[in-house]
Amino acid sequence: MEVVSGLLSGFALALEPVNLLWCLVGVLLGTLVGILPGLGPPATIAMLLPLTFNMNPAGAIIMLAGIYYGAKYGGSTTSILLNVPGESASVVTCIDGHQLARKGRAGPALGIAAIASFIAGTVGVLGLMLVAPPLAKLALAFSSPEYFALMAFGLSMVVLLAGRSMLKALLAALLGLWIATMGTDLFSATSRFTFGQLELLSGIDFIVVAIGVFALGEVLANMEAREEAHALPVPKGVRKLLPSLQDLKDSRFAFVNGSVVGFFVGVLPGAGSTIASFLSYGLEKAVSRRREQFGSGVIEGVAAPEGANNSETGGALVPLLTLGIPGSATTAILLAALVLWGFKPGPLFIPEHPAMFWGLVASMYIGNVMLLALNLPLVPVFAQVLRLPVYVLYPVIFGVSMVGVYTVSGSMFDLTLLLVFGLLGYLMRKLDYPAAPLILGLVLGAGMERALRQSLMMSEGSLAILASRPISAVLLGFAIVILLVPLFSRINAWRLRALEPR
Amino acid sequence: MRRTPSTVKAVGCALAAFAGAFAPCHALAQEFRPTQPVQLVVHTGPGGGSDVLARALALMVERERLLPVRIQVLNKPGGAGAVAAAYLAEKKGDQHTLGLFTGVWLTTPLMSVEARITLRDLTPVARLVLEPALIAVRADSPYKSLAEFVAAARNNPGQLKQAGGSITSRDNVVRQQLQKNAEARWTFISFPGGGERIAALLGGHVQMMVIEPEEAGEHIRAGSMRVLAQVSETRLPRFPGVPTLKEAGFDVPVVPQVRGVVAPPEIPGPNVEYWESLFRRLTRTASWRKYVEDNQFQDGFQSAAEVARFYDELTDRMREILKDAGVNIVR
Repeated sequence: MEVVSGLLSGFALALEPVNLLWCLVGVLLGTLVGILPGLGPPATIAMLLPLTFNMNPAGAIIMLAGIYYGAKYGGSTTSILLNVPGESASVVTCIDGHQLARKGRAGPALGIAAIASFIAGTVGVLGLMLVAPPLAKLALAFSSPEYFALMAFGLSMVVLLAGRSMLKALLAALLGLWIATMGTDLFSATSRFTFGQLELLSGIDFIVVAIGVFALGEVLANMEAREEAHALPVPKGVRKLLPSLQDLKDSRFAFVNGSVVGFFVGVLPGAGSTIASFLSYGLEKAVSRRREQFGSGVIEGVAAPEGANNSETGGALVPLLTLGIPGSATTAILLAALVLWGFKPGPLFIPEHPAMFWGLVASMYIGNVMLLALNLPLVPVFAQVLRLPVYVLYPVIFGVSMVGVYTVSGSMFDLTLLLVFGLLGYLMRKLDYPAAPLILGLVLGAGMERALRQSLMMSEGSLAILASRPISAVLLGFAIVILLVPLFSRINAWRLRALEPR
Repeated sequence: MRRTPSTVKAVGCALAAFAGAFAPCHALAQEFRPTQPVQLVVHTGPGGGSDVLARALALMVERERLLPVRIQVLNKPGGAGAVAAAYLAEKKGDQHTLGLFTGVWLTTPLMSVEARITLRDLTPVARLVLEPALIAVRADSPYKSLAEFVAAARNNPGQLKQAGGSITSRDNVVRQQLQKNAEARWTFISFPGGGERIAALLGGHVQMMVIEPEEAGEHIRAGSMRVLAQVSETRLPRFPGVPTLKEAGFDVPVVPQVRGVVAPPEIPGPNVEYWESLFRRLTRTASWRKYVEDNQFQDGFQSAAEVARFYDELTDRMREILKDAGVNIVR
């Protein structure tokens, strides 16, 4: 009952014309920020923060949250069309999304991304509304050993991301793990693998690697192939530019998977949306009947990660609003915003400011509808980008990548790094090394090492802490199962061969 | 959101440097006024502590009409402050660039060979705020006072755990000082984010943490956290009942967490005076006082000359403390 009356008062607030306007401004800005590689929600919100001083706090939080979840919608656009991840969370979308575009199915891929985002985004808000306080308590049970197990589970996905050669996938993942160790070590303040470079003291930003390896590597490899003037086929007619019924059917499980995985990972302050989308993609592949087609452009390979990174938003707001604990750069700056407006985010925030909470929740339902209405009609428009002849398209991708990286750090050094990783991506493609395991290793490496060292400090050096805590033991069990998947399928293949009549 | 295109900026800087080099210094003494937007360099990305302070500061300067031009925040993240310091060092003589420094600008060069720029290489302008801290445990913790916690640690060396930031953070400095003072030992576990530290404490995975008053306030009010002592010379207005370290029986010098302003190297004296007086006036405004109070900082204003002295003393002290903590000191 409390939920119903809360929600009703929330809608009353969110539907006030001025708040509707702020919601629209937020989701529009968010979509734009998502589409532009590099510029992300934390930077945008930080820069808009001074403008919100004169706003009504309810309108302000509605707008800033709109930027946050709106960016998750926009992030898939350049991932699918150009293989340039628009946001760090959209890296996984590149894997199958861009392959779909190369097959002339950019429209359905963009469409399914919007639909999955809408479904999972809404489920995320539902979760935030219904189970926030108890779930926040559960999140506190998660500590370093559990994070290590979660990330080990994530890393075990590498066997699912492998192409033809398991060895090459593992080597790529190792390279990612190595890059993740660069920079100043948190525990000892020692510089590792900085090669005397000042800029490497803080490590390498993974978005630089992702854009280099995915986008530039792809462009370099394709340039060599001397394709015809029109790089990618774009079918005529709106119907072929939107997902078909079959696409929706294929993505059924992905919608659920993305919503649930994204939300739960989001609730954990130490994980994040990139991990959520990787886990969801891996899970989708693990249970799929057409596992071998993943990576060559399957629609559920877009739906799962795009769903996960959207429902992650709802999840990430749980510890922020119920405990005042931010789990990511974006939620940290939302926290700073609440403090600047005179609120005190913490365990008493929701009970003492129910109007703010319910207004925000209601605005997120509205915002997600706005985003769907905004993004679906844009799909046919965006898909036309691929009509550009390659001599225009490839320089555009180069330019977009460079500008994207430069807006993150404003550093020329990162641009050099981008080129280095572009070359690496090109070489990996030539030698048939898969790029996804490298990114996976890089995303998980730093957090995994940290969690392991923290766990060992907690247990004074005993590895038993990983197996003796129930959540971590279960997650490690999952990791082992995933590692065994290729073995099972090989055994299955032998069995089938043995069963064949003579 | 928009940065000035770099070429325009570069030309602007060159002109400014040119003007600076050829204008007679005495004329400047009376007449220095910034003529173009001032870049305020911070070492964190958007949303970091310094970034938020810088943007609030820029807004207050604008509202109080203290400056004829605008202040733009320029993020130079990376290298734990080293990238921003190096950027300022490159801007030698630039009259329209300032930086917002914190304690890491001081500690990073002590332990990283790559970080060659110390605050001494830059021009100190003013110290703005001190950030006090609290020592907190979970509300159901058996330790009712800092002395009880330390005694328990002494009886079970290495068993109790503290969540904190990096090994060079203030969290660990406080631990090192207390351990040395009381001949006790407990484990320090680094977490990169403040949120993760609080989650580790509330989840019962560690027993103690050093926390900012603003972060702790709501958890105390909700009854999930208890404060044992405050890391501050005097009691904070909102925590009148909590003893300072000294009052709790631990006579260790308080190593302050500071934020202040520096300028690039080779800035003429009158310019420094101009900036110093600007920030002095800023710290006297009502909006600044409210900001300091809301965030539970302490007014820590010091003039340029005082900052230089403060810096030297703090460097010596930090070098000792970090050496004790097992950090490899390179400078």
